[in-house]
Amino acid sequence: MITFENVDVVYPNGFKGLSGVDLTISRGEFVAIVGLSGAGKSTLIRTINGLVPYTAGTLTVGGTLMDPKSKSKLRQLRSRVGMIFQSFNLVTRISVLNNVLTGRSAFTPTWRSLLGWYRAEDKEIAFQSLERVGIVDKAYNRASALSGGQQQRVAIARVLAQDPEVILADEPVASLDPPTAHQVMRDLRRIQQDLGITCIVNMHHLDLARSYADRIIGMRAGSVVFDGPTSEATDAVIEEVYQRSLTAEDVAAVDVAVSLDDLPTAPEQEAAEPTATQAADGQAQQPVAAPGGETEQGRT
Amino acid sequence: MTAAVSPADAGPAAEVKPASRPTPPRPSLAIYLGLAALAVAAFIWFWQTRESTAVLYVPLGEIMLWAPQNPLIGFLVMLAVLAVCWRTRTGAMAAFGALSFVIFTYWAGARINFSLTSIPERWSNLEGQLQAFFRPNWSYVFGVWDQWLTTLNMAIVATALGCFIGLLLAMIASPVSSPNKPTSQSVKALNSVVRSIPDVGWALLFVALIGGTAYGLGPLAGVLALLMFNIGIVAKLLGETIDAVSPGPIEAADAAGANLLQRDRIAVLPQVMPGFVSYSLYVFELNIRASTAIGIVGVGGIGQELSLQMNRFAWENVAAILYALIVVVLLVDLFSMWIRRRLM
Ligand SMILES: Nc1ncnc2c1ncn2[C@@H]1O[C@H](COP(=O)(O)OP(=O)(O)OP(=O)(O)O)[C@@H](O)[C@H]1O
Ligand SMILES: [Mg+2]
Repeated sequence: MITFENVDVVYPNGFKGLSGVDLTISRGEFVAIVGLSGAGKSTLIRTINGLVPYTAGTLTVGGTLMDPKSKSKLRQLRSRVGMIFQSFNLVTRISVLNNVLTGRSAFTPTWRSLLGWYRAEDKEIAFQSLERVGIVDKAYNRASALSGGQQQRVAIARVLAQDPEVILADEPVASLDPPTAHQVMRDLRRIQQDLGITCIVNMHHLDLARSYADRIIGMRAGSVVFDGPTSEATDAVIEEVYQRSLTAEDVAAVDVAVSLDDLPTAPEQEAAEPTATQAADGQAQQPVAAPGGETEQGRT
Repeated sequence: MTAAVSPADAGPAAEVKPASRPTPPRPSLAIYLGLAALAVAAFIWFWQTRESTAVLYVPLGEIMLWAPQNPLIGFLVMLAVLAVCWRTRTGAMAAFGALSFVIFTYWAGARINFSLTSIPERWSNLEGQLQAFFRPNWSYVFGVWDQWLTTLNMAIVATALGCFIGLLLAMIASPVSSPNKPTSQSVKALNSVVRSIPDVGWALLFVALIGGTAYGLGPLAGVLALLMFNIGIVAKLLGETIDAVSPGPIEAADAAGANLLQRDRIAVLPQVMPGFVSYSLYVFELNIRASTAIGIVGVGGIGQELSLQMNRFAWENVAAILYALIVVVLLVDLFSMWIRRRLM
């Protein structure tokens, strides 16, 4: 469980990135954060693992108070909280496996890391993580030899190798083309449900947020201005968050829905109208009809 | 049909003068006049302070104009630079920079009486020595093979140790990979000090401190000197490479809970590895040359042999060593080029 109580973030240059954020995110929830550029989505996510230190209020992650000043406590917390980035942030010159093993750092003695001599158990964990994202056959390829979608899967495997309680994802699919974006999101959603991991994801496109999240948080100018289950995040509500009317780009590219139909394994059917104007649509589009989905929302 | 028509159409169209293109703004004439005045002032100053008495005469009808030779040449170069700058519409600052460059170069040359005219004067002296270079004593070069080995071995040991230590220092010096700012700053300062002393300086120092070939410690002094020289170079070049690594993987390592050493090893080292290997090979090439040079100050190896033969005026031997040196350096360059190609 992650709780924000009246959390402020003031950047070193005096800019207020977050102000008075109150949030409770339960275990196993899949939360999407939406908002215009500069709304503070990245700031919020980075506060949770201390990449951005918060300056007021209290933040607890999994029952422990987050202390941005103590380096060892931070490392301890980060070992339980994985992060996925828009630009994948892989070391492109080394193998996929070694990238995934990076996720084992917090559980590996320093001398082993320095020599690159990982334990067999850690390698096994890395292989299992790669299996989950379906690219175990690429383990010994250089990361640079992979496509964008594959690289983001490696990044997901790296996070899984941490055996995390929480996965933070800062626009994980923003640099992928729409069909690939959906595939990666589907993988993430499936894994998150299989392992009961809490997922907090920044999103640019509303249709992605509505398709995959249990709950949507809307941000504007460093504050949370909407927080509710996906079914309540209607266009009208999001327009209120954005303070302007929605454009086709906000929702998704039109051709996405078309290409999704062509996907052989797509478990969900995208609405024929990509603008998804009805509130009910958001709910109907829940991608994985897992029985737990509803109850997890209820635990909020 | 269209294909036949279009070239005919294109012909006259190409000849039509293009619409007026934007041109760079003309620099201010006043500033260029000021720069010209500066050139005149520099000319007068050079004239007043000249040490060479050479004078250039310019017959102009009845009158014979004259000017001091070197300052006049300098003045003409300055005017030419200004003319080119004006023609290419160079900004005032850049033109001033170019002019100052000429003035400073002239001034520096004049202080040390730099002039190529003395070479022909010394030609008769040089001739005998130069002739030796056409009949090098090859048998001698192979006779001192152990000195060659000493030089090569010094270079190898110094490269291996120096590059490794340089890598560590570069890691500590770069703010990207160092534990904290004070450490980074102080190691950077230390690196600058190490770098400010040239290889021969280190060699003289270590020979004085621990003794040279006379005590059988020459190669040790040589390796230590090269080591310091290498640390300076690698720490500098690699430090700059580390400063520029992409921050994404570093952030990812942080977010995964890696500690500093793990982060540097996982996210920084792989990114700078090609640079490091490349610099190490470069340093090895430098070391072959440098270990010859510092041999002259008494650390042994082929450099010491070279200075010995020079003192004996055995020019045939000197020539043979120099030729062999060229071959060795070329071989090392080829070798490192070969490795580099494999690694990139
Ligand atoms: N390191 C920083 N120092 C100062 N201000 C910052 C810093 N990082 C972000 N900000 C400011 O904080 C505000 C919120 O930034 P944030 O990155 O959280 O926005 P975002 O919602 O993620 O936007 P985007 O969708 O463009 O990623 C912005 O106005 C930004 O300029
Ligand atoms: Mg952002």
